[in-house]
Amino acid sequence: MMYDFIIVGAGITGAMIARTLSKYDVSVLVLEKENDVGNHATLANSAIIHSGHDPKHGTLKARFCVEGNRLYDTLEKELKIPLLRSGGLLLARNAAEVDTLKAIYENAKLNNVPGMKLLEKQALKAKEPNISKTVIMGLDLPTTKITYPWEVALKAMENAINNGVFFAKNTEVFAMAKTENGFDITTNNGVFKSKQIINAAGAFAGKVAAMVENHVPYEVKPRRGEYLVLDRRVKGFLNHTLYPVPNNKGKGTLIVPQVHGNILIGPTNTPQSSLYATPNDVDALSSIKENADKLMTDIPYHQVIRTFAGVRASIDHEDFYIDYSREVDGFMHVAGIDSPGLTAAPAIAEYVVNSLIKSKTTLDPKPNFNPNEPECTMYHALNTAEKKAAFATNKRYGKIICKCERITEGDLMQHITRTLGADTIKGMKKRARVGSGLCQGGYCEHETIKVLAKASNKDQTEIDYYDKDTPVLLKETKVKL
Amino acid sequence: MKKHDIVIIGGGAGGLAAAQGASASRLDVLLLEKDAQLGGILNQCIHTGFGLQHYKEELTGPEYAQRAIRELEGLPITIKTNTTVIAIEKTTDFTITYTNESEGETTIRATACILTTGSFERTRGAIKLPGTRPKGIITAGSAQRYLNIDGYLVGKNIFILGSGDIGLIMARRLTLEGAQVLGVAEILPHASGLTRNIVQCLHDYDIPLYLSHTVTDIRGAGQLRGITISEVDANFQKKPHTEKHFEVDTLMLSVGLIPDITAFNGLSFAKDNRTNGALVNQTFETSLEGLFAAGNALHIHDLVDDVSAESLLAGKHAKAYLENKNQKAASHIDVLVDEHINYCLPQRIQCTQDTDPITFSLRVKAKHEKATLKIMQGDKVLMTRKRQHLAPAEMERITFKNVDRLDDQTPLSLKLEVS
Repeated sequence: MMYDFIIVGAGITGAMIARTLSKYDVSVLVLEKENDVGNHATLANSAIIHSGHDPKHGTLKARFCVEGNRLYDTLEKELKIPLLRSGGLLLARNAAEVDTLKAIYENAKLNNVPGMKLLEKQALKAKEPNISKTVIMGLDLPTTKITYPWEVALKAMENAINNGVFFAKNTEVFAMAKTENGFDITTNNGVFKSKQIINAAGAFAGKVAAMVENHVPYEVKPRRGEYLVLDRRVKGFLNHTLYPVPNNKGKGTLIVPQVHGNILIGPTNTPQSSLYATPNDVDALSSIKENADKLMTDIPYHQVIRTFAGVRASIDHEDFYIDYSREVDGFMHVAGIDSPGLTAAPAIAEYVVNSLIKSKTTLDPKPNFNPNEPECTMYHALNTAEKKAAFATNKRYGKIICKCERITEGDLMQHITRTLGADTIKGMKKRARVGSGLCQGGYCEHETIKVLAKASNKDQTEIDYYDKDTPVLLKETKVKL
Repeated sequence: MKKHDIVIIGGGAGGLAAAQGASASRLDVLLLEKDAQLGGILNQCIHTGFGLQHYKEELTGPEYAQRAIRELEGLPITIKTNTTVIAIEKTTDFTITYTNESEGETTIRATACILTTGSFERTRGAIKLPGTRPKGIITAGSAQRYLNIDGYLVGKNIFILGSGDIGLIMARRLTLEGAQVLGVAEILPHASGLTRNIVQCLHDYDIPLYLSHTVTDIRGAGQLRGITISEVDANFQKKPHTEKHFEVDTLMLSVGLIPDITAFNGLSFAKDNRTNGALVNQTFETSLEGLFAAGNALHIHDLVDDVSAESLLAGKHAKAYLENKNQKAASHIDVLVDEHINYCLPQRIQCTQDTDPITFSLRVKAKHEKATLKIMQGDKVLMTRKRQHLAPAEMERITFKNVDRLDDQTPLSLKLEVS
C-alpha cells in the first residue's frame, strides 16, 4: 500500500500532526521505534504550557507558543486532558534582573501574551507565601498552565487512530529511498511506501534526515535536563509555576506544580553527545537545589521521591526548523523542537498541515472526523454515585492495587483495554500512575505484573518492565513437576 | 454508618498484637488488612531468627505469624482481609473509609484507631543515586517478596547497596537460589544490620562487605549492565581513584525503612522528623486523642518481637482509653535527648495516677563502648544504667520504674555519657 503520509516519531509533535492530518481524507502511518508513544522528550520535561513571554518576538517559537497555549483549552475539551491553570511568575532578585525582567515584559507584549502584570514584593508574597525574601519584583503570567505531557501525546495518537491513522510501534526506520512517486522506508518490520514523509523524530531527526539528504540543514545538539520530583503530598506548598529571570543558559531552574499534586524542580541544561536521556549526575542534582532555594524558602526536599533526566531535541539553530526539504521533494523536517515544544505542538501541527502541506497538496476534509475522546477518569476521582455505579458493573474497582496513588484493579483494566493499552509495567505507570507514589512500586509492582499477565494470557516472566526483554521476573524457582 | 469501638489498621505483627491487647468481650474491635493473608511482611521472611524473646523459641517468619494469628482465635475481633483503608478523618469520632471487592468503598466510624501499617522501603529516588535508570534496580523487600511468595528470581548477578538486615538476609537467600551476589556496599563505616546477620549471611558465603563505599555510577539503557562503587570520606564524599566496577543485572537496595503513615494524611497529629513516624506518649497515643500507633508504623524496629510487645501494649492502652474515656485530659512533659542519642520513644509522658513502668526505646547516633545512660529531670538523676556496647543498628531499651517520683512540670531528659 502507498500511504499519503508517513510520520516518523510518535512524540507530542508526531502525535499532534497525525491527529491534525486525520481530519482529512488521506492515509497516514506513524512509525515509532519505541514500544509506546512519547517515550523521550515528551515523557521527561517540565510539563508547562508556557505563556509565550520568553521566545524572541518574530520567531516560530514565539508565534507557536502563544497560539499553542490557546489551543490547549480546546484540547482539554476534546481530548479530556488534564490542565492545571496555575499561572506563572517570573521572579527577579536584583536590579540587573529587574532590567532583564522588564525587557522580557516588552518582548512578551510584542508576542501578544495576554493578561500580564508587573508585581511588587507584597503582591508576590500574597500569591505565593513561600517565596524567597530576596525576590523583589515579578511578572505575572496568568496564561501559564500545566498538563501531563505524556497523556496529551497518548490521547492525540489515540484520537488519530480512532479517526483512521495507522500506528506501528516497535518499528525503527533503518533506511529511506526516494522512488519515482514517493519513498520506500525500510524498517525492522518490513518496507513501507509513502508519497510524503514528515520527520518528527525528535533528537533522532538529524539521523532520519541524513537517510535522504546529503546536507541536512541543521545539526542536533542534545541537551540533558535533570529534575527532582517531590511527592504529591506536598500539594499546597506551591501554587504557581516559578521562573527565575533567565540567563544565557536557558530558562534556568523552575519550580513547577504538577497536575497530580507533585512538585517538579529543574531542569539543568547540560550538552551531551548521546541522543538518549543520559545518567543523573550528583553535582547537577545539588545545583538544582541551590538554584531553587533562590526562589523559595523551606522547600521540603525530604519529600523527594525520584530524580529523572530528559533530553531536549535541540539543534544548532535558535528557532524550530519546520519546512519541506530543499533537496528531496516530499520530505518535511519538523526539527529542533525543544522548549517551548510541548506548548507549541498543537500550533506546529496546524502550521504543518494548513500552511506547508496545503501549499502543495489538496486535502479533503473527512466528513466523519470525531475530535473527541472519552474521559478516562480514575475511580478515586469519581463522585459517590459514579463510584457506586462503576463498582456495581465491575467489582475490581473495589480492589486497590496502588495504595500510594489510590489506583484500583478496575482502573488498570481500563488502561489495558483502551485504544493504546498498557502492556508493560512502565506503560501502566505512565497511564495509571501505578508506582508513581512514595513507595515507587514497592507495594504494587507485583500486583501490576499479575494483572498484566492475566489480561494478556502471558506468564509473569514475559511481562517487561519497559523495553523489550526487560522482565522484572527472570525465572520461576518453584515449578510444579 | 457502622460504628466500632477500636479499628486497627494493618494486620502484620503489629496489628495482630494490638488486636490481642485491645480485645475485650464488651468491645467491638475491627482489624483491617490489605493483603489476602494476615501476618504482613513476616510471610515473606522464611528464614529463622524470630520469636526468641516473644515466644521463647526460634521461629521462621510464617511460623511467627501463625502463632500470632492463633492467639486471636476465640477473641471477639472482626477481621477483614483484602481490605485497604483509603481515608481517615476525625471529628468527634474517626471516620474511616476502606474498600474491598465485596463491599466496595465503605465508610465506618470508630472511637479509637490504632495505626499498625508497617513501613515501606527507601527507594532509589529518595537516596538520589546517580547514573542511568534501567530495569534491574529493586528494593530488597520487593526481591524477597518475588522470591519467597511469588516464586520468581529477579536476577543472576547481583550487587547489594546498604547493609540493612533485609539486604543481608537476601544476599544469603539469593545465593542459595543459585544467583551470584558479588558484594554489599555500605556508605557508613559500620554495618547497619545485626551482627549475627553479617556473620551468617555474608561471612559464611564469602560475600565481601565494602564499608564506607557507595554506588557512584549505574550503567545500562533498558537493562542494568553494571555499577561502580567508590570509597567515601567522613563526609560521604567520593574519594577519587577508588572505583570498583561490577557487571551485574540487578542492584538490590537495602537502604532503610520509613514508617508508612501515608493513609493518615487527612489526620493532623504531631510527627517526629527523626523517626518519620508519629510522636507518642507512654500509652502509644499520638497527639490526636484516640489515635494510637505502634510497630514499624511508629518507628523502625530491629526485631519483630519488640513490635509485638510494643503493639500489645498499645492495644491494651487503646482499650483502657475506651474504658476511661470521660477522664479529663492529663498534662504532658516532653522527653528530651542529648547529642549522642538519635531518637527516643515515647517522646512525651502523660502525667497520670498510673504508675506503670515506662520503657524507653532509643537509638544512638554512633558506636560506643562502655557508656552510661542517665534519666534526669532538671539536675536530678532519676536512673543510671551502664552499657558495654551501643550501636545505631541496635535499638536500646531502658525501663524506668519510679514513675511516681516524676514531677509533672519539668521535661525528662535522657543523657548518654561516653568515655
